[in-house]
This record gives sequence, C-alpha cells and structure tokens, in this order.
Amino acid sequence: MSVTARIAIGWLYLVLCGCMAPEGYEPHVPEGDPRQGREVLAELECGVCHVIPGVPGARGRVGPALADYKRNVYIAGRYPNDPDILTRFVRDAPSMSPDTAMPAIEMSEAQARDIAAYLYSL
Amino acid sequence: MPSWIHKPSWVHKPTRKIVLLVTGAIALVLFGALGAAVVLLSGAYSTAATTQHFKITHRLLDAGLRYSVRASASDIQAPILDEPHKYEQGAACYRLHCAQCHGAPGIAPDEEGRGMLPIASNLAQSAREWPAEWLYYVTKKGVRMSGMPAWEFRMSEESLWSTVAFLTRLPSLTRAEYAQLSQYSAQLECESAEGAEMQASEDRTKIVFRQYACHSCHRIEGVVGPKSYVGPALVEWSHRKYLAGTLPNNEENLVRFILDPQAVRPHSLMPKLEVAPAHARQMARYLLELE
Ligand code: HEC
Ligand code: HEC
Ligand code: HEC
Repeated sequence: MSVTARIAIGWLYLVLCGCMAPEGYEPHVPEGDPRQGREVLAELECGVCHVIPGVPGARGRVGPALADYKRNVYIAGRYPNDPDILTRFVRDAPSMSPDTAMPAIEMSEAQARDIAAYLYSL
Repeated sequence: MPSWIHKPSWVHKPTRKIVLLVTGAIALVLFGALGAAVVLLSGAYSTAATTQHFKITHRLLDAGLRYSVRASASDIQAPILDEPHKYEQGAACYRLHCAQCHGAPGIAPDEEGRGMLPIASNLAQSAREWPAEWLYYVTKKGVRMSGMPAWEFRMSEESLWSTVAFLTRLPSLTRAEYAQLSQYSAQLECESAEGAEMQASEDRTKIVFRQYACHSCHRIEGVVGPKSYVGPALVEWSHRKYLAGTLPNNEENLVRFILDPQAVRPHSLMPKLEVAPAHARQMARYLLELE
C-alpha cells in the first residue's frame, strides 16, 4: 500500500472510530456460557474475596480484582492464563498451589467453565 | 459581516486583530496535531530500528540532548578526577556496564549494542568534547528514548565519578594501554548503589519503581508505564488483605516479598530484582498509602 493510501486510511480511522489499538488474544472456553457464569459467581459468593465487575456486591479485597481478566498473562503468579488451567484453578486452587489463600470451592466442571467464560468476557 | 450579527462594543479594531491572530495560531496547532495523529494512526511512521531519522531530525535531536544536558548539569561540580585509583576503579565499571554498548579502544560494542537506534556513541569522542560534569549527568540519569540507561540506582556515587574519571582518560588510551588497564582492573569491583534513600518523596518513589523495572510487569497507580498484565495491578493497595495470595498484607511482608519473591513463594513468576532494602521499604510504604 502506498503511503498516501495509508494516510487516507488513517483519516478514516480518525473519523470513524478514533484511536484504537488491536486488542489481541481472546481466550475461548469451549462450552462456557458467560451469562450463566455471572450467576454462578454470585451464587458461590466469590465476591466476598474479589472485586468482579458486573457481579452485584462483589467488592472483596482478600484476593486480586478480577477485572480485565483475559489480558492477565498468569494465573496466581504461577500458571499461564489458559482456559483449561483457569477452569481447574477456580474449582480447586489449593491442589495447584498449596500455599494459596484461595479456598477450594465446590462446583461442577460446567459451572467452572461458565465462570472462566465470564471472567474472560470482562 | 451580515447585518444581523451585532458587533459588540468592545470589539474595536486592534482587539479584533489579536483575536484573529490567536484563533489562527490555535487553528494551526490543532491542524498540526491532527496531521501528526493521522500519520501515526495510518502506520506510515516507521518504528523500525533500521529506519534512520532524517538528517535534519538527527541533528536537531543531538542539539536537543546537548542543550538539555548543559542546562541540567550547570550546578554540578566535578571532584578531582585525575587520580589513578579513581580511573582504575572506573575502568572496572566501564568494562562491566558500558563497553557492551559503547565499545572500548580497539574493542567493538557487543551485538546488542550494534543494533541500536540511536547508536551508542563512541565515548572516546564524547569525552574529548564534553566536560566531566556532562558525562557524569548523562551516566547518572541516562537518556530518555535512546536506550542509554540511568546508572544512578545501580552504581554508587563514588563509582559514578570513578567511571567519569575513566572516561576523561579514554580519548588518550591506545589499544595496548586499554588492554593493560582493563586487565588490571579485572580484580576490582564496581560498587553498586547503596540505596539509602533519606527523604523519600512521592515523585522519587515513582522513579524507584521505574528504575527497578516494576512497571514492565505491573500497572502501578500513579506510575506511568506500559499497559502490562504480567503481574497483578498494584492499585487501591491499602484495601488488600493478602499479598501474593499467601501473606497477610502489611509493610514487613511487602518488603520481604519485594526483596525476594521466590523465597516467599518458590514457584513465583515474579523475579528477584536486587532491590536495595531501603528502596523496598519506600515502595512498600507508597503502595500501602494507595486508597
Ligand atoms: C544498553 C546500551 C548502553 C549501555 C549499557 C550504556 N550506554 Fe551510554 N549510551 C547509549 C546510547 C544508545 C546513547 C546515545 C544517546 C543519544 O545519542 O541519543 C548513549 C549515550 C551516552 C553518553 C552521551 C554521549 C554522547 O556523545 O551522546 C554518555 C556520556 C554515555 N552514554 C555514557 C555511558 C556510560 C558511562 C555507561 C556505563 C556506565 C553507558 N553509557 C552504558 C547506550 C548505552
Ligand atoms: C517480570 C515481571 C515482574 C517484575 C519486573 C516485577 N513483578 Fe511483581 N509480580 C509479578 C508476578 C507474576 C506477580 C504474581 C506473583 C505471585 O503471586 O507469586 C507479582 C506480584 C507482586 C506483588 C503482589 C501482588 C498481589 O496482587 O498480591 C507485589 C506487591 C509486587 N509484585 C511488587 C513488585 C515490585 C515493587 C516490583 C519492582 C521491584 C515488581 N513487582 C517487579 C511480576 C513482576
Ligand atoms: C476466601 C477468599 C476467597 C474466595 C471465597 C475466593 N477467592 Fe479467588 N482468590 C483468593 C486469593 C487470596 C487469591 C490469590 C491466590 C494466589 O495468588 O495464590 C485468589 C485468586 C483467584 C484467581 C486468580 C487471580 C489472579 O490474579 O490470577 C481467580 C481467577 C479467582 N481467585 C477466582 C475465584 C472465584 C471464581 C471464586 C468463587 C468461586 C473465588 N475466587 C473465591 C481468595 C478467594
């Protein structure tokens, strides 16, 4: 593409959508339903310990805030932030990281997937 | 002017001229900014390290560096530098911390140093042309947007001046003399910064965070840096109950973790950054004050 064409496209960008940078990697959880996930998060009261946008009353400060979770590179400073690993971590953190203050929380595999899908949708 | 626009009584001629001039100037600035934004967003501006600046831009940037350094170094007073123990010590620092980018008499810069834009200057020339105070200032503070690091947080005050003492001798060294000095200084160490930070102002603490590269992994409240998500965001920290998922959040634990994360959590992906204890405390206090 010629420089002139690029500048013209730059104009378009500016006019149509302002300054944007590509957002990059979007993790995808197979069979995870973000809407269900939000309800499960509320039901299991994860908000006692975490700030979670979109979940009413989720303002806990025991653990890290879970905003913008898809962009985090690591889970709990130890594992790559990958859908499968996150699905395991939210159910049973202590088995993956024995020194963690995040408890194991009883839920089904499907619920864990929904939670992961919701966290990645933030 | 159409008759339905009332000319307010205060608009007499000279004022109107000024208003017109000011409006024109503002329009010009806005237009320039818009033009710059368009060039940037179109991707036409190359960020490749193989694309050199225009010659005129290069000369302007060089001049800008000199003017800035001259102004900033104006109240620095160099101690006596022409003493063997100083430049010998400085040779050790130079070999350890500078030669990889700047090269040395008869010795090329390392591969990293050769691929940079701007290229690290050959300091034999800089030292001939620049007063010691300027060399000291640049060594201590680094050069923004150039790849020249600040050494203030890595070398003691004494080592900084020793390095400058060595630099002032650099132009007069032959290859053999440098080799000899370098070999002799191999047994000497370059003293690192002691890190005693007495009056820790908030601005100073922000510099400390940046000088240990904390912001390469963390978004830190009040510290401008990349949008990094490698480590957790360090915001609203005073409310946090646990630190690194395992320790109660208080000053002592924070200092402990910052000094050696992997001693606290062996698997932690946060590395040890050789933080001076005084600096760790300064950072811990800053974080604990974040509402
Ligand atoms: C990672 C590479 C790197 C290292 C290591 C490095 N420098 Fe530099 N230095 C640069 C670059 C790049 C410039 C060019 C800045 C410019 O011209 O804009 C520079 C510029 C300078 C200048 C200004 C000279 C001039 O003429 O512009 C001085 C003085 C200097 N460095 C001293 C040092 C000293 C002393 C050390 C070791 C303590 C050191 N540098 C280590 C990359 C480095
Ligand atoms: C290479 C990337 C990296 C750098 C550089 C880095 N950190 Fe970290 N940091 C991390 C990671 C990853 C974690 C999560 C580690 C864990 O929980 O074990 C972390 C955790 C932390 C925590 C605890 C966060 C929480 O939510 O509990 C603090 C505080 C912290 N870092 C401060 C610092 C300071 C201060 C510096 C600079 C001296 C720094 N970090 C430099 C990657 C980094
Ligand atoms: C008792 C408090 C507590 C409860 C309840 C809790 N967590 Fe946590 N959570 C923590 C702590 C503390 C950490 C930090 C763990 C670590 O770094 O090892 C954490 C970490 C996490 C992380 C990783 C955060 C990161 O920055 O990588 C996720 C994701 C998470 N929790 C999700 C959940 C979900 C989902 C629930 C509800 C099912 C939940 N948590 C319930 C305390 C809790």
